[in-house]
Amino acid sequence: MTEDPVLRVEDLSVDYVAAAGTFHALSNVTFEIPPGRVVGIVGETGCGKSTLAHAIPGLLPTPPARVRSGKVVFQGIDLTALPRWKLPTVRGTGIGMVFQEPLNSLNPAYRVFDQVAEAIRVRRFRERGVPAARADRGPFDYSRRAPPSASSTIGRPFLPGGAVEERLKARPMTPASLKEEVLEALTLVRINDPETILRLYPHELSGGMRQRVMIAQALSERPALLIADEPTSALDVTIQAQVLTLMKELIDEVRTSILFISHDLGIIAEMADDVGVMYAGRLIEFGPVASIFGRPRHPYTRALLRASPDRSKSEGPLQSIPGSVPSLARLPAGCAFHPRCTLARPNCSVDPGPPLAPLELPGAEGHRSACWYAREVDA
Amino acid sequence: MGRSITDLLWFIGKRLLLLIPLVLGVTAIAFILIRIAYPEPCVIWLGGHAKQSAVNQCIATFGLNKPLVVQYFLYLQQFLSGNWGISPDSIPVLTSIAQYFPATLELVVASLALIVLIGIPLGVIAAQSSGRWPDHLVRIFYLGGWATPTYLGAIVVAVFVAPFLGLPTSGQYSRPPPFPLVTHISVLDPLLAGNLPYVGDALMHLFLPAATLALLNMGIITRMTRTSMLEVLPLDYVKAARMKGLAEFVVMYKHALRTALISTTTVLGITIAGLLSGTVVVEEIFSWEGLGQFAYDSITSSNIPGTVACVVIFTIGAVVANLLADVLYGVLDPKVEWR
Repeated sequence: MTEDPVLRVEDLSVDYVAAAGTFHALSNVTFEIPPGRVVGIVGETGCGKSTLAHAIPGLLPTPPARVRSGKVVFQGIDLTALPRWKLPTVRGTGIGMVFQEPLNSLNPAYRVFDQVAEAIRVRRFRERGVPAARADRGPFDYSRRAPPSASSTIGRPFLPGGAVEERLKARPMTPASLKEEVLEALTLVRINDPETILRLYPHELSGGMRQRVMIAQALSERPALLIADEPTSALDVTIQAQVLTLMKELIDEVRTSILFISHDLGIIAEMADDVGVMYAGRLIEFGPVASIFGRPRHPYTRALLRASPDRSKSEGPLQSIPGSVPSLARLPAGCAFHPRCTLARPNCSVDPGPPLAPLELPGAEGHRSACWYAREVDA
Repeated sequence: MGRSITDLLWFIGKRLLLLIPLVLGVTAIAFILIRIAYPEPCVIWLGGHAKQSAVNQCIATFGLNKPLVVQYFLYLQQFLSGNWGISPDSIPVLTSIAQYFPATLELVVASLALIVLIGIPLGVIAAQSSGRWPDHLVRIFYLGGWATPTYLGAIVVAVFVAPFLGLPTSGQYSRPPPFPLVTHISVLDPLLAGNLPYVGDALMHLFLPAATLALLNMGIITRMTRTSMLEVLPLDYVKAARMKGLAEFVVMYKHALRTALISTTTVLGITIAGLLSGTVVVEEIFSWEGLGQFAYDSITSSNIPGTVACVVIFTIGAVVANLLADVLYGVLDPKVEWR
């Protein structure tokens, strides 16, 4: 990989400090997202996926959460070292986010227009630049950044038809142009009647519609990285399929890097280029989608695939994983998965496993596993 | 839709119609209670040494020998035709009300402004720092105010705080105003007359009684704001607002507070009613020539029509305040339909 990654998470550990004890929600998570790629994170409920999604843009409430170690390097800047008041300059145009609950992710008090327009105004303000005296306040000088079309993160014109530069030049910050851009954002997410939707309040929209508005709002800021935290989990199956199709089409249209989080292996297989598998707060396997799903190199991933209804066509009956997910407050010593692992050896209960290192195996380029016996795992 | 202007006007109209039975009931109760409290008002008015013939004549003049129900209906008849009775000092009650009510309204509006401008941000700060020292400080502040009786708070402010700040504690102006009192609103009258020094003087006189009222009644607003902010803050749309790249101030006041205020406005009506009744003590202590002082004087001087009129005005005030709160609630919450 010659290009610098958009996001590099290095050795990130996050604890939740509560009266009942300290929960190790994330332990030594390391991975990176190259420009324009979709990275999926998959795992069971409570494995730390959402904590990871919230930790990256600094959304975790700092008590009870605490970053124990590690870095979140976004476009070369460590977000964990950034003072809190500077974080907003990274959000929106830098990192955008789509949330799990479309019912709660739009403000019930404002019309669709106001919410999308607000996002566009934030972006325009940063594109337009501020007086030089205020420009060098922080490392995130989005104000002097070239228009998004010139940035490396968005390869193609964001909106169908016409070069972005021309559109930007021809578009002063007037109410009319703002409305035009809101309409474009809503059209982008295939809303058929944007003129009507504009004037509605969130409670007048269906769940799928709200999620479309949410996606439109996030994309209208043209973020370098979009975090989708289980964006379809709360929707009906039919709506889920529609939203997934939409996101898949948008991935091709808007060349933004995406961190796609889901508990559904099928969705991840469909959407992602690279996959990370999480278990008990650790990233235990990472690699290209075909490689992970075709030939998993960690016993947990293998067990997860066998327990998944849409992947078990040829494998006979569904196999559940014996035992249960360990409490994050009392993780077992050694590898967190060893009590449930069929390949476990005595040293697994002592040794936490190798760092997520690339496997030197033919046909497994970029595939990394945190199991000592990765070579012995058969699909 | 149920949210158009006509729907709103119908809603307000229907609520105002409710005032009719309410005023009837309130006047009846006040009238009867006062007649029980003063079985022989003529003796009180004429003094203990008055001749029996004079007392009898007074009773006949005011119709006090008729049955109570008849007296009430006679009173009501006069009340509806605009004659609210005459005080013992022979000033019509309605004239006094027209003179004193604007002054009280001024005091209530000023303290309401202080409550909204200070109490609500304090609630936001408390919610943001929930469990840490700013939260505890704010809690001590508003619980202290809430737990202090009005007379005690007012006296403490008048005796100890006022000399410290060098602010006046008595009346609306330092010297008798040279301009006509048109509206009886102490800040507005000199403004209409173009007398700016008197505007400043009026504001200085207004500050302490308004601040006292605000301080003592702020607690419930701060507390409601804090509680509903704590409910709203963990919601996804607050995170979504942060993820738009908005500054924390905008996230708090434009997004979180906007929805949190919906529950706060409900209590706002109650607070205004509390402010109105709170003025009785505060006006007396700060010699503020308003309805509260008139009510106090009416009660102590056995002014029956004056007392009933004050009760009616306070009732209407409470109903209108709650109506205002309901309208505000509906304006803030787009899910509300006017019905």
